[in-house]
Amino acid sequence: MTLSLSPRINEFVHSVLGETALLGRLVEALGSPLDIVLPEQAGRNVAAFRAVHAEHRLGGRIYFAHKANRSSALVRELAAGDAGIDVASLGELQHALGAGFTPDRIVATGPKNAAFLWLCARTSVLVHVDSAAEVAELGELVRARGLPPVRILLRLSEFAAPGVRTAARRSRFGVSPDGLESILDLAGKYAGHLEPVGVGFHLDTTALPEKAVALEGCLTALETCRRRGLRPWAIDAGGGFGVSYLADPAEWDDYTSALTEAVLGRRAPLTWNGHGYGLRNEGGTIGGSLGLYPAYRQVTGPAYLDQLLRTRAPGLGRPLGELLLDSMVDLHVEPGRALLDQCGLVLAKVLEVRDDPGGLIVRLDCNAGDVSTENHGVLMDPVAIPQREGPAEGAYLFGNLCLESDLITRRKVFLRGRPRAGDLLAFVNTAGYFMDFGATEALRQPIARKVALFRSDDAWQWCLDDQYWPLHRETA
Amino acid sequence: MRFDAMTDAIGDTPLVRIDPAVHGLRHIDLYAKMELLNPFGSLKDRAAWNMLRPLVSPGGTVVELSSGNTAKALAVLAGMHGMRFRSVTNRMKVPEIKDLLLLLGADIEELPGQAECLDPTNTEDPLTRMYQQLGDGGYAHTDQYFNELNVDAHRHGTGPEIVKDLDGQAPDYFIACVGTAGSSTGVARALRQHNPDVRVVGLVAHKSDFIPGIRTIDEAHAVGLFDPESYDTVETITADDAIDGLLTLVRRCGTLAGPTGGGAYQGAVRHLRKIDAGLTERKTAVFIVCDRVESYLSYLRDRRPELFNRPPRAHDVRTVDAAEAKILDVAAAERWVAGRRGIVVDLRSPYAYQALHIDGAINIVDELFAELLHGGLPFSRRQPVLLVCPVGEKSAKYAALLTRMGHPEAHSLDGGVIAWRDAGAELVRD
Repeated sequence: MTLSLSPRINEFVHSVLGETALLGRLVEALGSPLDIVLPEQAGRNVAAFRAVHAEHRLGGRIYFAHKANRSSALVRELAAGDAGIDVASLGELQHALGAGFTPDRIVATGPKNAAFLWLCARTSVLVHVDSAAEVAELGELVRARGLPPVRILLRLSEFAAPGVRTAARRSRFGVSPDGLESILDLAGKYAGHLEPVGVGFHLDTTALPEKAVALEGCLTALETCRRRGLRPWAIDAGGGFGVSYLADPAEWDDYTSALTEAVLGRRAPLTWNGHGYGLRNEGGTIGGSLGLYPAYRQVTGPAYLDQLLRTRAPGLGRPLGELLLDSMVDLHVEPGRALLDQCGLVLAKVLEVRDDPGGLIVRLDCNAGDVSTENHGVLMDPVAIPQREGPAEGAYLFGNLCLESDLITRRKVFLRGRPRAGDLLAFVNTAGYFMDFGATEALRQPIARKVALFRSDDAWQWCLDDQYWPLHRETA
Repeated sequence: MRFDAMTDAIGDTPLVRIDPAVHGLRHIDLYAKMELLNPFGSLKDRAAWNMLRPLVSPGGTVVELSSGNTAKALAVLAGMHGMRFRSVTNRMKVPEIKDLLLLLGADIEELPGQAECLDPTNTEDPLTRMYQQLGDGGYAHTDQYFNELNVDAHRHGTGPEIVKDLDGQAPDYFIACVGTAGSSTGVARALRQHNPDVRVVGLVAHKSDFIPGIRTIDEAHAVGLFDPESYDTVETITADDAIDGLLTLVRRCGTLAGPTGGGAYQGAVRHLRKIDAGLTERKTAVFIVCDRVESYLSYLRDRRPELFNRPPRAHDVRTVDAAEAKILDVAAAERWVAGRRGIVVDLRSPYAYQALHIDGAINIVDELFAELLHGGLPFSRRQPVLLVCPVGEKSAKYAALLTRMGHPEAHSLDGGVIAWRDAGAELVRD
């Protein structure tokens, strides 16, 4: 029985995959693995988020979470449109500024060192502060160096829901709403240097109800600010809008059921060394829990934001979108992977195909850092180029590191038709977090080169990622 | 019938024949075991009491991973015996049950949703951690998914009652939904003791569906009591099936069943219809009606909103065109307000109104305003009004509606309070 996990591919990516000759030449010239980014699609994704804001009549920015991909082409393309950017390191801030983002369109998040804070303050970008210590450090820096006042968002965490308690995961970042007054006191000491313009959160969860509690908690926090005479107009709801990776929900259902049975020993193993992806066989009963991203999701990206805005606030009772609008609050969001949906793929060359008692083995010229879907718990099949004919065979995909654990997939991938050495496998929809997030030069294996592919004059054009500037389209 | 305690009223539920005109089976008598008539409202009363009885210790705390009927029964039972009840759950998707548990004094903790940025090295999921805590916490853990006393409650109770009511015969078919697998396993064992040829059908939920009280096949594998060998066949039902069955039971059979009972009925009839066609002799079949419909109104409203239609009401804002409204721009509105020409009605939420509003405005949130207008004009026609909302869309609709209702001076603030703020006009808080 074949257990496919066919990736969801839009028409745009589909037509890229049809350019087999071009893709082959690119890998020949630039080596394997090769990252392909599709900047135009990122612009379309921003527009889809923007449409949700418009539908709810809300103001606020769509900040692209830069950490999802290092590409210059993607950042420059977004700089050409109306998106903002969320930077989480000194290097990302420099990159964003150099790509054309003006400081009013940049928000700095995450852990920050002195140099990062200085460049934020010097260029007057919005700073999403994590802790009282950061408020003090930034305030001192601005005062001592005579820098212009810095707008700050206060990051909150550990919101309490009415009714039933949620045992939410603890976050490294943010202060609890109970600590808000004291952090506002602290910010007040730097009046004229720090200007609180809003509050924010980022919850690492797919659960809508938890986000509804957090969003309402932020509204309450803004009221605390207003009571103190402040006039904050923004809430930053962070990211985590999600992507659906698979085309067919039935395939996902079948696969996860089969995996459960395999872990229980009721069918042949589906994974290398019986890996259970978090599931364990405890005397014939399944223990643990499936440590996988829900690869098929019905509501993701802009639709998820829309649903959140239509959700009634657990305490105030009114839909959150209407509460935000009533309160004249701008809603900022920081999607990463959702803005890069369908924005890129990784090509890897097949080096060797051999039979093994446990199944087919396909060795690739790339490693688990170059295609890090598994490290992020996402299971989806690669697309073979060219598509060979023949029955489907279960194959393990090995990487190019001299390391037992270097598997691109720890599960058997069922490829239709047996690939041959020299063929390519395309790992689609990998631009968000799976392309270069964990890529290393371990063993002096090369890091993938990056190429931007775009339509111009009715044909596909390409250039190296750092050569891309958004100038190829006709001006309006 | 005189009892010393409500616990004595658990069990001995009726077995009721379903009218053949409803199910349409020609050779099979279909009976429903009416577990919804247990004192706390469900089949789980039996297992809860059977599991808790040996653990009763006043002052102690009972813990269970449950979001539904087991939690409800345990909360009641704990209260009766001077114990606290704590429930940990990741499946509480029915708001009425959540509220009911709080009302019963339960302490509920929900597990968080799955991480968006997954850390696959973190295999210790919250549920596993919770189990570890229970192991050394001094709690009375009823452990419904692994506790054989759950099965025994049905093996010695529900199952033998069915046999007794069928004049000492086991039915030919038994159809049950799989939740904790306690009832299906226990009843199946009791029935097979009488007649090894009883066909047992287990029903699980379709993987993409949520049916309260029924597990999907993958979820069933995580239940210690679940043994696929207990069932001759395991079939899948959808939420739609469950609701169709529920509607048949509540509308035609005098049985106020919840979705689990509805699913069992629908799954039973679907399974039996194929067999019925080839039968020449009479057979009997039994399914379980697990609990009552009242707790699932929001579940049903979400999935079948058409069942809850209400007739159209007078003065409905959805029937007017905003273009009919009289509009004031910010400058004109500022003069109108400064000249105290009438009342400003702010249609935003009280939360937003209290934060900042136009001086002198009163707050009637739009949902409430709509309610008032259904009954007629809530102020005199001689009283000029200026309606305010965030961007001037809702206020225009309500102004148009007031105009249509005969109010001569109802205005809408163009661009709403956001335009007002952006123009630098004054906003106050009290």
